[in-house]
Amino acid sequence: MRSLRQAHRRRGLSRDSGVAGPRVALDLLGGDTAPDAVVDGALLALDEQADVAVVLVGPTDVAERLLSARRPGWRDEPRLSLAAASQVVGMHEDPVRAVRAKRDATVRVCARLVREGPGAGGADAMVSLGSTGATLAAAVFTLTRLRGVARPPLAAVIPSSSGDLVFLDAGATVECTPALLTSFALVGAAYATVRLGVERPRVGLLTVGEEAGKGDAVRKAAHEQLTEAFDDLPGSFVGNVEGGDVPAGGPADVVVTDGFTGNVLAKGLETAALTVTAAVRAHLAARGDVPDEVLDAVAGATAHMSPEVLGGAVLLGVRGVVVVGHGASTARGVASCIRTAADAARDGLVARTAEALEALVGDADRPAGTVESATDTPGAQP
Amino acid sequence: MTPPTAAEVLEVVRSAVVTVLEVDPAVVQPGTRLREDLEADSLGLVEIVEIVEERLAERVPGFHVEDEELDGLTTVDDAVDLAVRRLSGAG
Repeated sequence: MRSLRQAHRRRGLSRDSGVAGPRVALDLLGGDTAPDAVVDGALLALDEQADVAVVLVGPTDVAERLLSARRPGWRDEPRLSLAAASQVVGMHEDPVRAVRAKRDATVRVCARLVREGPGAGGADAMVSLGSTGATLAAAVFTLTRLRGVARPPLAAVIPSSSGDLVFLDAGATVECTPALLTSFALVGAAYATVRLGVERPRVGLLTVGEEAGKGDAVRKAAHEQLTEAFDDLPGSFVGNVEGGDVPAGGPADVVVTDGFTGNVLAKGLETAALTVTAAVRAHLAARGDVPDEVLDAVAGATAHMSPEVLGGAVLLGVRGVVVVGHGASTARGVASCIRTAADAARDGLVARTAEALEALVGDADRPAGTVESATDTPGAQP
Repeated sequence: MTPPTAAEVLEVVRSAVVTVLEVDPAVVQPGTRLREDLEADSLGLVEIVEIVEERLAERVPGFHVEDEELDGLTTVDDAVDLAVRRLSGAG
């Protein structure tokens, strides 16, 4: 009976159901706060995003119990569906082996739904707050990669003081070769043309000083490769940038680094913004004569840096929209990730990024990094 | 449907290696080492295996390689031998 019911629900996901907007497959079991915050985030997204449909992917009995406790009439919501998945990849597991072994893992089923597409009862995009390495592996195995992207990086759009910039890799591949960093730069530049509308994106390499010789051996070699790779391209390599250039912006539209450094910096920036905001707010509140609207304004000034608002990072270079969210996200963070995924699907992000990458490097000049690849196990948690 | 021959399996494996690692088909020979010569990493190796499984399963439904068997994969020929053994039911 259960399988019939699940099959019926899966069939109900097609465009024929009358849902016109993007359909997002959401990993029910991914993240520290799952499944409760995931379910809350799904409901919040449905309330706030009028044309978005959500497919909760996981054990259907768990989803049904949580949904019934929160919204007894959830079965009447045509934009909410369930898809069965009985396994989960834990944070302690080797992501590649675990994804391969667990064919019914939530991330694998999410990716399968994206591969099937909404017309076949699948989805337009997927979101997971679970193991980044598992999401990467599931996406690569199931959706496959774009040519020229040896390892898909996680790209976050950072709202710097000088405007939005693309920051990658935010945590997908923790140890990178110079060639891999170069391939990140190229797909990041392509993404920037699409996402930020920058015709000639300026690419910077994150390291410890502006001068060309700054950094470790990987950074020094990457500087040489990037200089060569961008020599005849519409985009430009502006050289090294420092950590402060990410929140401040200015020198580059795209900042490239390895997933280890990227994850450390991203989390540091997030926590610094929240900590400074809380400290200023507490200091003002202690005075006793500061109006609430001023306190709210202080909080609002840095709210856009919060992972709860930013909406996760996009896995670039796979043939489908994949968004990885912060493992500690609340319902607000989950809803923001769903918005990111829906926007990306709506905007045709994958096809447009592929076109931009092709336009950038062309068939005759394959980006460096297409043969050489990383040597580690993927996956830090963004 | 007849199971693929060893020569057909070799072409399936070579095609998967070329697709995943984006290398010149000419460099993918039976004795080519996947890690040492082509710089395949763990993700790439499993990606190759998944593609081979999917393509061979079109001819032999349910075709699957056990995870423990992947540790012995060194060369292109190793992958072909493993697939052929599994196809013949001897593996």
